[in-house]
Amino acid sequence: MTAPDPPPRTYSGRVRVTSPLTTAPAHVRRSVRQEIDESTGIGEIYMRSLIRSQLRAALMVALTLVMSIGALPLVFLAFDAVTEVHVLGVPVPWLILGVAVYPGLFGLGWVYIRQAERAERDFARIIAPDDAAPEA
Amino acid sequence: MSPTYGIVAVALVALATLAIGAFGLRVSRTTSDFYVASRSVSPLWNSSAIGGEYLSAASFLGVAGLVLAYGADMLWYPIGWTTGYLMLLVFVAAPLRRSGAYTIPDFAQVRLQSLRVRQVASILVVAIGWLYLMPQFQGAGLTLRTVTGAPTWVGTVLVAVIVVINVVSGGMRSITFVQAFQYWLKLTALLIPVFFLALAWTRDGRPRPVAPEAWFSPFGGTDGPDLYLTYSVMVATFLGTMGLPHVVVRFYTNPDGRAARRTTLLVLALLGTFYLLPTIYGVLGRIYAGDLVAAGRADTVVLELPGRMLGGGAGELLAALVTAGAFAAFLSTSSGLTMSIAGVVGQGLAGTPATRRHPISTITALRFGATGGVMVPLALALSAERISVANSVTFAFALAASTFCPLLVLGIWWRGLTAAGAVAGMIGGGICAGVAPVLTIAWGPGGWLGLLMSQPAAWSVPVGFGLMTVVSLLTRSTVPGTVARAMVALHTPELVDVDRRT
Repeated sequence: MTAPDPPPRTYSGRVRVTSPLTTAPAHVRRSVRQEIDESTGIGEIYMRSLIRSQLRAALMVALTLVMSIGALPLVFLAFDAVTEVHVLGVPVPWLILGVAVYPGLFGLGWVYIRQAERAERDFARIIAPDDAAPEA
Repeated sequence: MSPTYGIVAVALVALATLAIGAFGLRVSRTTSDFYVASRSVSPLWNSSAIGGEYLSAASFLGVAGLVLAYGADMLWYPIGWTTGYLMLLVFVAAPLRRSGAYTIPDFAQVRLQSLRVRQVASILVVAIGWLYLMPQFQGAGLTLRTVTGAPTWVGTVLVAVIVVINVVSGGMRSITFVQAFQYWLKLTALLIPVFFLALAWTRDGRPRPVAPEAWFSPFGGTDGPDLYLTYSVMVATFLGTMGLPHVVVRFYTNPDGRAARRTTLLVLALLGTFYLLPTIYGVLGRIYAGDLVAAGRADTVVLELPGRMLGGGAGELLAALVTAGAFAAFLSTSSGLTMSIAGVVGQGLAGTPATRRHPISTITALRFGATGGVMVPLALALSAERISVANSVTFAFALAASTFCPLLVLGIWWRGLTAAGAVAGMIGGGICAGVAPVLTIAWGPGGWLGLLMSQPAAWSVPVGFGLMTVVSLLTRSTVPGTVARAMVALHTPELVDVDRRT
């Protein structure tokens, strides 16, 4: 047994004490994805906002339908003049109901898909900024 | 028309259907292949298949016949059948695909964690499927008789046998190929004759249709009752499409939710293109085949027009083409319905989801389901009096709109839905939409009551939605604990890598 080493000659009276902190929890930034995976309050808020924006887009389409196709029977009933107009020898109601409605429905669907996919891209960018797909 | 061409046309369609089905058989190996084509079908294939499956006898023959008989008012039917897909697109398509379930009962169980909801939904799938199958089988018998003079049961049994062979041998994947082929066959079968018919019409000096004033304008001369019927048909078709079992099962074959949306948009284009044509047949029928209305055979106008307007070899060939299209319509819709009934019955036979690990027994169960599922509507079609195709089909739409539409819409968008609420809504809406037509046929009440009973959707759909909402609110404490996870699974886009387990 020998005596412990003597203090270094350049002893200044101050010692820097450090710890590797191996047992302390590391400070990690929690991602929104984790919040959603763990169903925390914050995750719920993000999910609710996504669902609400998708539902809003869907209800807009439904409302447009009610006010366009849904209103047609009333328009035909209320305004006889509409039903008597002819274009290229074909009565206007036949052109509307037999032809014009279909491109309209497709257009409405196209607009909806653009909205829905944009909402999903925005959501993805918030959740996982690193691996979200670039703007398609 | 000479029977030879018609028989050749029907035989060719039947052979092509079986041949494409056999091609599907070579790549159909696993349970997943059988049920949902391994979820790898591209949007164009899938949307053609949906179009092929959806355009039934009611669309191919029925719309032209209705326009011939009743005029402008009948244009609401094809509009409703197309708009139904828009509603499906915006409310159901992507979340339904993301739910990862095979059938509507699967969806109900995943979302509500209740075996009872699953059982009620399974019974409804079979009920709606049978309702829709019976007129297809009967229509096939009638068409074959019109074209070839064969007894009615021949066409009925022929369609049933071909459908069962196809489903039993290849399952969903071969059905996907068959359906896609049949959409394009149906479009061609109406499109090519239209050019020749238009030429003949021009050659004749473009005569105008002769009809009463009411035929030309919507609601000509009437008001209240017609308005109610129109809106009730709208409700049934707009909201019923998303609940038809053979339509919904198609969405599981998309690779992801985004593809499910794009598929639906393509379907809108395909249906919109197709539905331009029956109206032309109906109007030309008013000029050249007005006698069919009085004879009660308005449904055959599509089959009769080529022969009447063109005659000779060209007329015969085009008539055979149209016959082929009509037969494709029966085959494709029946295949899809049989497949969805077989899926539900097969899963019921196979028991719990755990048995999915043993693919052999599941596939065997599916085969039994297909064979058994077809027997009942076949027996009904052979024994019962003929029920008009359009009526029976609209009744199926009303039933789907009153039961599965609330289940899907509330299940996808509202966290508060409970198992008890879902069961109450499906049973209540189902009874309303189911009893009304039975009452109409058996008792035939007059006046406003008769009117409400003949087209129940306008009031039975609110009953379904209302019961489901109110009972869910009353049983609020039983909201499943997994609802938050279910919402994540239903709504999160696939490009975000979250935990989707429920």
